[in-house]
Amino acid sequence: MTPARRTLLIGVGAAAALVAGLWVGQSPYFGPPATGLPATALLGVSLPDPDGTEQSLAQWKGKVLVVNFWATWCAPCREEMPMFMRFQQERGAQGVQFVGIAVDSVDKVRPFAQDLKLNYPTLIGGFGAMELSKTYGNAIMALPFTVIVDRQGHVAHTQLGPLKEAQLDAILRQLSS
Amino acid sequence: MRFPPTSPGSTPRRARPDALAAWAGIVLVASALAADAAGPKLLPAEQAFRLSARALDAKMLEVRFNVEDGYYLYRDKLRFAVEPASVGVGAPALPPGKPHEDEFFGKVTTYRGLVVVKVPLAAATPGQEVTLVVDSQGCADAGVCYPPQLQRVTLALPAAGAGPTPATEATPPRKPFFN
Repeated sequence: MTPARRTLLIGVGAAAALVAGLWVGQSPYFGPPATGLPATALLGVSLPDPDGTEQSLAQWKGKVLVVNFWATWCAPCREEMPMFMRFQQERGAQGVQFVGIAVDSVDKVRPFAQDLKLNYPTLIGGFGAMELSKTYGNAIMALPFTVIVDRQGHVAHTQLGPLKEAQLDAILRQLSS
Repeated sequence: MRFPPTSPGSTPRRARPDALAAWAGIVLVASALAADAAGPKLLPAEQAFRLSARALDAKMLEVRFNVEDGYYLYRDKLRFAVEPASVGVGAPALPPGKPHEDEFFGKVTTYRGLVVVKVPLAAATPGQEVTLVVDSQGCADAGVCYPPQLQRVTLALPAAGAGPTPATEATPPRKPFFN
């Protein structure tokens, strides 16, 4: 084999190895596969709010939509909600909309949301909500799980576990501009 | 002496393992980078909190959770029942666990590592087959919590005078329900 062909083979092999590695790292078990895809299923969801009124997520299409799956029994979920409220307060005018989907019962959610003075809507989802989050990459069905949808209705980011403030800030700035 | 034909400037064959090692290294690094960008690597609940049980005799079950490092269970969320319901369970002997201050729930107790719970049976007969039903809930230090997990372990109780049965792993969890 000539040196040039050997170099080419090594280069191709290295590139293939890199792609294979990235593919493994991005598999549903490790990471979100939904980024870039239309959030059709999510925007088609209709769930009751704590007062029992059905709300469709489609009403917020065109917004930078931050859909946060959470529960009152989930401490890390509760801990990041004040941060979400700050972002809602500061960025709402730029078209950012937070929507919670509580994998929880209404008699736990309603008092909690009231005590917190939650400034964004939260809907009541049951086990179906967990299944929905699974289709967006939440393979282990744990909480919190957050899906960020851009103005065009595509998934911009998914996050299993809490969102860091700096990261959320950067994503929202980019999507709101 | 005979050598394999090589052209001037090519690498001898024994360099191949080095190239393979380099490619494997690239795959590992790339997957680690991609996985890290995607978030923490977390186990499904039935692997993070591995449940098994055995019958010590017809009056006592021994239930074990093998909680992986970096995960914990809530003591007050453990519930035990048995099928058929006529067998009945008494109060389980729960180990002490670790106290923890939760800003919403207040004082909670958590379990890490190996958790062993003795569950008394009220009215079973030796040799009877029973199904233990366990409800549990836990979280990961990485910052996620799992919904309540409902799991079943079917056991044949030992005959009178026989020793404990071997441990049986839980069947895959049913859909959890939310109270």
